[in-house]
Amino acid sequence: MASISARRLSKELSEIRSEGCPVGINLVQADDFATWLFTIEVMGESLYQGEVHTLQFRFDTSYPISSPAVQFVVTDGKQAPVHPHVYSNGHICASILGNEWSPVLSVVAVCVTLQSMLASCKKKERPVDNDRYVRNAPDNPKKTRFHYDDDTV
Amino acid sequence: MKVNVKHWHAVAHWRWDTGSSEQDDPDGEEDVCGICRVPYEGCCPSCKVPGDDCPLIWGECTHVFHMHCLLKWIGTAASKQQCPMDRRTWVTAERKVGAAVAALA
Repeated sequence: MASISARRLSKELSEIRSEGCPVGINLVQADDFATWLFTIEVMGESLYQGEVHTLQFRFDTSYPISSPAVQFVVTDGKQAPVHPHVYSNGHICASILGNEWSPVLSVVAVCVTLQSMLASCKKKERPVDNDRYVRNAPDNPKKTRFHYDDDTV
Repeated sequence: MKVNVKHWHAVAHWRWDTGSSEQDDPDGEEDVCGICRVPYEGCCPSCKVPGDDCPLIWGECTHVFHMHCLLKWIGTAASKQQCPMDRRTWVTAERKVGAAVAALA
């Protein structure tokens, strides 16, 4: 029997294929139910005008009970957006990917949230502890215990 | 004219009483469990047969899920025992079965 995650993800995928993604978000790769790639772009006036970034989702078999591991791709010449909550290794400090994850959220909902996180950014800068974090960061950002201290950025 | 009925087939349709009147829904779309996205009248991904063995669960916050889906979530530390929809502490609601029966009478 297909895993819970495969069933839920195949529903999400067929919805994306039939209705498309929200503006600025495009599905790049979803060949299996383990890793999906999207491009994400902030539409309209923002500090990220003209930038296209790639988001990677990794799912374990208990998605959506467990959150997906989401990060920006920083290989093959791709770069993470410069943002106070995005580390240069692509890891993202966002509460909905951690302690505020809910199983009623979806891949597209996460993309939209991250898109608006970029859109509302006032100043392009890396997190203050970027160098220290990147030096010791685990491969999977879900293993990091982020401290969510600032909802305004 | 005299009609003799030789055969007849009864067709029954059931659905959970979720309190919402789906007849009013112009799309005719079925309500789905927010966790697994399978219709309430289907079963959760762990079950094979819908019905009494894969029931729904109601919260006092009025949100409804397949019981098995909700229990999987509530069983995780990450859930903090909160409703996935509104993050309020999950309290299972007593179903007012009597009210439905009274309405039928």
